[in-house]
Amino acid sequence: MIQIQNIKKSFPSTVALAGISLEIRKQEFFGLLGPNGAGKTTFMHLLVGYLNPDSGKIIIDGDVVTQSNLAIRRKIGFVPQSLALYDELSAQENLEIFGGLFDTPKAVLKTRIREQLEAVGLDERRKDKVNTFSGGMKRRLNLIASLLHDPIVLLCDEPTVGVDPQSRNAIFEYLIRLNQEGKTIIYTTHYMEEAERLCSRIGIIDQGKIIANGSLDELFELFPYEELILITKNPSTTKCRTFFEKFGTCVEVDDHFELKPSKGFILSHFFAHVEEQGISYRWIELHKPTLEELFLTLTGRSLRD
Amino acid sequence: MKQVIKLFAKQYRVFRNDKVAVLLTFIVPLILMSIFGSIFGGSSSSVQGIPLAFLNESSSPVALRIEQTLDTMKAFALIKTYKNDRGELVKFDTVKIKEYVHSGRAEAALVLPVDMYSDTSLGLKVKYYYDPKDEIQNQITQGLIQQLIFRQLPEIFTDAGQRAAERSLGEAKGKEFYKKLASLTHTYFHLDTNVILHPNLNALFQKDSSSAGDSSRASKFFERIVRIEKEQLVGKELENPGATRSVGGWAMTFLLFTLTAAASSLFDEKKNGVMLRYLTSPLTRVHILWSKYLFNMSLGIIQLLFLFVAGWILFHIDIFSNFFNLLLIIIAASMACTAFGMLLAAFSATRQQAQGWGTLLILMMSSLGGAWFPTSFMPPFFQTVSKLTVVYWSMNGFLEVLWRGSGITAIIPHIAILLGISAVINFISVVQFKKGNVF
Repeated sequence: MIQIQNIKKSFPSTVALAGISLEIRKQEFFGLLGPNGAGKTTFMHLLVGYLNPDSGKIIIDGDVVTQSNLAIRRKIGFVPQSLALYDELSAQENLEIFGGLFDTPKAVLKTRIREQLEAVGLDERRKDKVNTFSGGMKRRLNLIASLLHDPIVLLCDEPTVGVDPQSRNAIFEYLIRLNQEGKTIIYTTHYMEEAERLCSRIGIIDQGKIIANGSLDELFELFPYEELILITKNPSTTKCRTFFEKFGTCVEVDDHFELKPSKGFILSHFFAHVEEQGISYRWIELHKPTLEELFLTLTGRSLRD
Repeated sequence: MKQVIKLFAKQYRVFRNDKVAVLLTFIVPLILMSIFGSIFGGSSSSVQGIPLAFLNESSSPVALRIEQTLDTMKAFALIKTYKNDRGELVKFDTVKIKEYVHSGRAEAALVLPVDMYSDTSLGLKVKYYYDPKDEIQNQITQGLIQQLIFRQLPEIFTDAGQRAAERSLGEAKGKEFYKKLASLTHTYFHLDTNVILHPNLNALFQKDSSSAGDSSRASKFFERIVRIEKEQLVGKELENPGATRSVGGWAMTFLLFTLTAAASSLFDEKKNGVMLRYLTSPLTRVHILWSKYLFNMSLGIIQLLFLFVAGWILFHIDIFSNFFNLLLIIIAASMACTAFGMLLAAFSATRQQAQGWGTLLILMMSSLGGAWFPTSFMPPFFQTVSKLTVVYWSMNGFLEVLWRGSGITAIIPHIAILLGISAVINFISVVQFKKGNVF
């Protein structure tokens, strides 16, 4: 469906994308996770043809995406990170303007506007000016403004920035529904929870490069351990630190020790030895690794840095 | 108190970093002050190069002296010839000089007629034809001409008085009388003496018996000694000449402000992401620029029409007798002003910057272009610069149509120049937009 072949893009002061290749399948919900400045927005701008790559090629549904290929944009819906709306106009007027750009027949557009407004719970506010909307309502309107031409690919560039949990959930549910109905979605975020919840496949981007790519399970396999062991720091556990280090790397973090098990670690053996040492189980907690930790492991930096 | 001082200092820190605020607070007034200072720095004697058509039909030495003085006056650019149909330079005659003013090539003409100063004259007679499209300039021109002629007065008055006395009393008595009269006039200038002593002058003053005081009578007296026969050639029939004259200039100033603000809306659309939304739909940058240009141009046309209709309703400015030509100038002016707004947007990094520069340039163009005072008040350099402004050509176009009631042939140069300016500015804007900040 979407082939991205070694695209590179630089700006005068920075290299935004340093050679990215990806293949995204039809009806896939692909997440691009990375910290601010990693190149996510540039990637989206190239995908939608707002920018041309310095080198490489992007093909969507058999068409090469370029700035001058306007026809391909009819297949793509782009949800910008900013609230790209006219505040002084009503929701309905905004949708008429943005939907009208794609030459959708008037009657069809009218129906779609009504359907979309209903789908995100804004139907009753359709005649109200956008500047009277809450941040979450604006975000929902911002999303549906990109769907009125019924694109086959939806590109969402951090569409939930600054949104309350209720609106965020509404947006997530709607995106999941759209995906189930057949739309291919590419979603950028720096919130791992969003990527984990929504995406069937996730690419992790840092400094213009994809440093990992796969389903959640595939990504977690990149960890050298399945679970992190957290041990509360107290006199009895502190004197056993050397004992813990036999099972992996043990580091002191705030009020606990963090044990990253080494290869061949067997959890049942570990607990057996703990019991032998007379350490109570209550001081030991198992922790499933997160994408945040994967990013930290892969780059040495936090996602939110 | 500490807090107040901290906040006070903070205000200056914020202000210093707001380049537009600094520009509007110091630079704009400084530049405008410099322009106004160089224009109004002197007195009316600093006025230069007012075009004055001139015809001397008199052979009297006084006429020659007036002509020679006019030739040397910087205030006037004396025009004594015109180009005929064959392109030859020909001296004016009494008909052509009026046509010359009527066509707007000069705003005033001075004719020294054959009988300007005859043997039986009591004083001087000159003819002054004028087109008061610019009232201030007209007043100054008249004032300067009167000043020039009155400077000849002592000699004329002496000469004329002597001849009149000799005619009435005989040569010997007349000379005796004149000596006393001249002595008294020069010493005191009390006109009552003349009423008693001079029969002809007595006749003059009898007509003024209803006048209030001596000064008024003196004024009437001089009016009869120096007769300036004035004839307004253009704008006589206008119901409200003042409003008709000024509407174009003010309309242009507001049009420029409106269109600069409208063009700057590109920055808002960029800032809130709407521009990105447009550019990720099947639109190109050219589509966006064209739509913006057409919108601004139409807004300009609507605004100008609104202002002229308001002028018609409120001040009875006649906009309908030459409406088609007015519409042509309105369209050309709107196109040129729209181009100016787009140019500002193309060269600015932010809306604030565009508006800061816009304010400066609009005020400069309006003042230099003649929207607020006549260009002839300006030094020669500024008069040349004024011809490069949209305001100058638009205003003159409006005056041609509304004031002079000119037809299409008279306004074609104005339209052509406005469209030319518009084309050049648009080309520069498009080039700049390609590498600028908006897209």
